[in-house]
Amino acid sequence: MGAEIIEQERFTCALGAMQTVVAIPKALPILHSGPGCGDMVSGFFQRSKGYAGGSTTPCSNFSEKEVVFGGVNRLRELVDNSYKILNSDLQVIFTGCTAGIVGDDVQSVAEEFRDQGKPIVYVESPGFKSNNYVSHSVVVNAIIDQYVSQYEDESTFRSQKNTVNVFASIPYQDMFWRGNLDEYKRLLEAIGLKVNILFGDKSEGVREWQSIPKANFNILVSPWYGKDIVDHLKDVYGQPYVQYPNIPIGANETEKFLNKVIAFAIEQGADINEVEAKRFIKRESDAYYAQLEDLATFLLEFRYGLPNHAHIIHDAGYVLGISKFLINETGVIPKEQFIVDDTPEKYQEEIAKELQSISKKREVPVFFSPDAGKAQNKIREITHKGKGIIIGAGWDKQIAREKNYDFISAAIPTDYRLVMRTGYVGFTGGLRLIEDIYSNTLSKFA
Amino acid sequence: MAEKELRQIAIYGKGGIGKSTTTQNLTAGLAELGKKVMVVGCDPKADSTRLLLGGLHQKTVLDTLREDGDVELNSIMKEGFGGTRCVESGGPEPGVGCAGRGIITSIGLLERLGAYTEDLDYVFYDVLGDVVCGGFAMPIREGKAKEIYIVASGEMMALYAANNISKGISRYARTGGVRLGGIICNSRNVDREKELLEAFAKELGTQLIYFVPRDNIVQRAEINKKTVIAYDPNSKQADEYRSLAEAIDKNTFLTVPKPMTQERLEEILIEHGLIDTEEYAQAQAI
Repeated sequence: MGAEIIEQERFTCALGAMQTVVAIPKALPILHSGPGCGDMVSGFFQRSKGYAGGSTTPCSNFSEKEVVFGGVNRLRELVDNSYKILNSDLQVIFTGCTAGIVGDDVQSVAEEFRDQGKPIVYVESPGFKSNNYVSHSVVVNAIIDQYVSQYEDESTFRSQKNTVNVFASIPYQDMFWRGNLDEYKRLLEAIGLKVNILFGDKSEGVREWQSIPKANFNILVSPWYGKDIVDHLKDVYGQPYVQYPNIPIGANETEKFLNKVIAFAIEQGADINEVEAKRFIKRESDAYYAQLEDLATFLLEFRYGLPNHAHIIHDAGYVLGISKFLINETGVIPKEQFIVDDTPEKYQEEIAKELQSISKKREVPVFFSPDAGKAQNKIREITHKGKGIIIGAGWDKQIAREKNYDFISAAIPTDYRLVMRTGYVGFTGGLRLIEDIYSNTLSKFA
Repeated sequence: MAEKELRQIAIYGKGGIGKSTTTQNLTAGLAELGKKVMVVGCDPKADSTRLLLGGLHQKTVLDTLREDGDVELNSIMKEGFGGTRCVESGGPEPGVGCAGRGIITSIGLLERLGAYTEDLDYVFYDVLGDVVCGGFAMPIREGKAKEIYIVASGEMMALYAANNISKGISRYARTGGVRLGGIICNSRNVDREKELLEAFAKELGTQLIYFVPRDNIVQRAEINKKTVIAYDPNSKQADEYRSLAEAIDKNTFLTVPKPMTQERLEEILIEHGLIDTEEYAQAQAI
């Protein structure tokens, strides 16, 4: 059998998880890879520089000499020099394909520097090993095992009853990660929790990471990616976790998410004022629906120009989240859905079941394939009555145009949209997604 | 005058079988016949030319990559016994880097430096042990060595290795012009060794090109960092290597090997008494 050619992969190789480090304030990824690997990663994620990503990232530029004789000496020199130039709080060495094939002993280099008191971690991330959805967890677990572990004190494990670690958006792979993490933090703090959000400028950087073991429990918002992290934390610190399978978008899902967390927190002995927490949820929810009420006249007037069905081409967390949001809060019907995150087979059934749960009346066909080109071809073949909307990456703009559908760029690569602090999570995120859907329609009337 | 044809030959065989010793004694014999020979050691240990040079080669081809400087051919190519040109590919320290890639890089560098001159009659590649990865097959790829000889003995593991190496050769024979020239037996003095090797070679579709008898003079010459031909030119063993050189010089029987299945190989070993039939049956039953 010949090799299968995949068109339009919407993620990168394992090395893409260097963005996980870029997203930690003042953390430094160090690439032990060939020249060009870092460029490929930063190019794919666009506007992805952070403190030390993009062209700032030190790289050993693994070349023929390093292949033949091994590259550890070059790496040692590189790490040493990066200390002279960059004042970072945490360093993470990533191995690329060549270093992985040659079998460089990167661990011992990291340990040499760690013995000198440097906060340094290494990760085996040759591109052939996995993709960045998977290696994100590998990186986080490596930081836990090699860095956070130095700040452990068994007597303080789970000692802060109201503190939680949140694992939700994968930085940069989720193009709304900053805005989304902001909203998780805002919502969870409002119900009485102290939140280690771990990534982005609103986190406290490595100090927050150091306090991971003290958190009472973990929150995982994802159907599969990131699960290895919370499983690992359960093993090492005995922290239980609560999992929400999709990104909570809009009032309906956000209420469910928060209520699930509240119940779990209380069960774990957190000191939550349930009455206050529920009051906050109601206040937010009321404000949200008040906004929707304002839309009523618009929705009526434009009823023939608005999309009535949608195809989403995204990762599993988004496909579930946006589908639930569309059907519950907008009346746009989710039709064929495409999950392009290379979901491991063992999670697919559960995700498909979750998607079916959104409506008793309708079946929502779902296709799992990392080949987004196939998804586009499928959409080309399908005809539904009325106007549709495609929510996908910038690359899906063309197929939307072909079908005369509306289009929202909500996944990377996102060539036609600049996102800074926008998010789709929560009450604010739901309103934002509604704005995006209908602004799209309105813009056609200009 | 017809243009002289360069014969590029690679010597393979199980580790420790005596490839380097055989290659150097054989090239010494060819040198005596007036042939211009280059020996390229393809082993990171860089000990393939020790007997021709009377000591270990100091600078390897890959050292030039390590040092990054401008390198001239004469700093890595030394003249050994009878005017043989000796080059060592070199490679990484044990346990680091990639020796296979080292061989690929090294042969490329040799070509760039102009080591393959027109006056050469022979280039020999002495390749370490089994063909464990693509790098160690380099001398038989891309039209370099077209002729392979496998050094073996009447021991089971030596024949397993030889059969395995033949698989590599037949793979590259399909795409390139590489052919097997024969099996050289470096005798271990085991029972019915010659018969076994002849049968084995026949089954592979090749020949036992020469049977080199065992003689302790080889070890004495090695201690003195010399080939047998240089150490004791009048010895019987020196004549054996001269005859080997002649056999190879005259050889035109080049074939695509037909590697055997494991079962067939074991059958041959049983037929020639290398495997005890009863013991073998018991082992199979387990």
